[in-house]
Amino acid sequence: MIRKEAIKMVSKILENDLAVAANGYISRDLFEICDKPSNFYMIGSMGLASSIGLGLALKNPKKRIYVFDGDGNILMNLGSLTTIGNLKPKNLIHIVFDNSSHESTGGQPTNTTCIQIDKIAKACNYNKTYSIKTESDILTIFKKTKKINGPIMILIKIHIGGNIGKRISILPIEIKQRFMNFIN
Amino acid sequence: MKESIQREIFNHLVKKGIENFIGVPDSTMKYFIDQGLKKKRVIIATREEEAIGIATGMVLSKSPSLVFMQNAGFANSLSTVTSLVQLYQIPLIFLIGWRGYLKNDAIEHIKIGKLQPKLLKLLNLKSKILTEKGWMKECSWAINKFRNNKCCVLIIKRDFLD
Repeated sequence: MIRKEAIKMVSKILENDLAVAANGYISRDLFEICDKPSNFYMIGSMGLASSIGLGLALKNPKKRIYVFDGDGNILMNLGSLTTIGNLKPKNLIHIVFDNSSHESTGGQPTNTTCIQIDKIAKACNYNKTYSIKTESDILTIFKKTKKINGPIMILIKIHIGGNIGKRISILPIEIKQRFMNFIN
Repeated sequence: MKESIQREIFNHLVKKGIENFIGVPDSTMKYFIDQGLKKKRVIIATREEEAIGIATGMVLSKSPSLVFMQNAGFANSLSTVTSLVQLYQIPLIFLIGWRGYLKNDAIEHIKIGKLQPKLLKLLNLKSKILTEKGWMKECSWAINKFRNNKCCVLIIKRDFLD
């Protein structure tokens, strides 16, 4: 499975849950596949999707918050796993699309070629962690986790490849405004 | 800055509606942070960028937030300031402890401490230094900026050596 296919499947399952998408191809794919006000697309500030998700989760305890992260992204902010594990928001689901590469900068390898991020999350006190790789895994695990308390990490092993998603054509301030209107 | 004033500043900001205080500790403002920990309103982050990210999530939820850090940590987070806070126009109050303000501070703080005012200017971030006499006025200035959806910086000078 490539990233775009995985994001397509996950975004169908989410409906109107809040989603924070990491910068780079993840945001671009989500924008192309399923643009809606409940998506917060990050343009820059690589690594911070999980932190923004944590802030949202703590302030919106009745809503489920889904972070669309990448392996390169979370590796830049691993400390975030410890803060999430310490504060334990029940409504945070941290999805990592892991292709073991910095695909948008030319496919350079990341450390996940031999390090498992879900194991780090487990050691950081996440309530549940999963490492999956097929489309049927996605269906099963997302259904299962709807009834489980967070923080949860779902690491989806994907392959590189596919067309590059189109650039996000909405201005950052509009992304923010419509997202805020949606929440509040 | 005196312990009692640091504690008063914290209480005052809460009274004025700031709900969350997220940051990386700095001894320059340790009583401010201690007051926040006692009131259970502080989150200690692992890095300054992370603190800004968490605060952004809270501000998006309409919960007023302040981030605190040392000036060296502010330097860590320059890209986050430009590509998240300023790009998306996230209203936040930064509270920055200014090491290297004294010329004989520890050597690792001298160069970045000297650059601190210039950095803020280059970023076009408005700032005020908190003083023992005028802190209430300076806080009001920051609250007003925040209420007008603007980002701003309050600074606590490190005016002692240990």
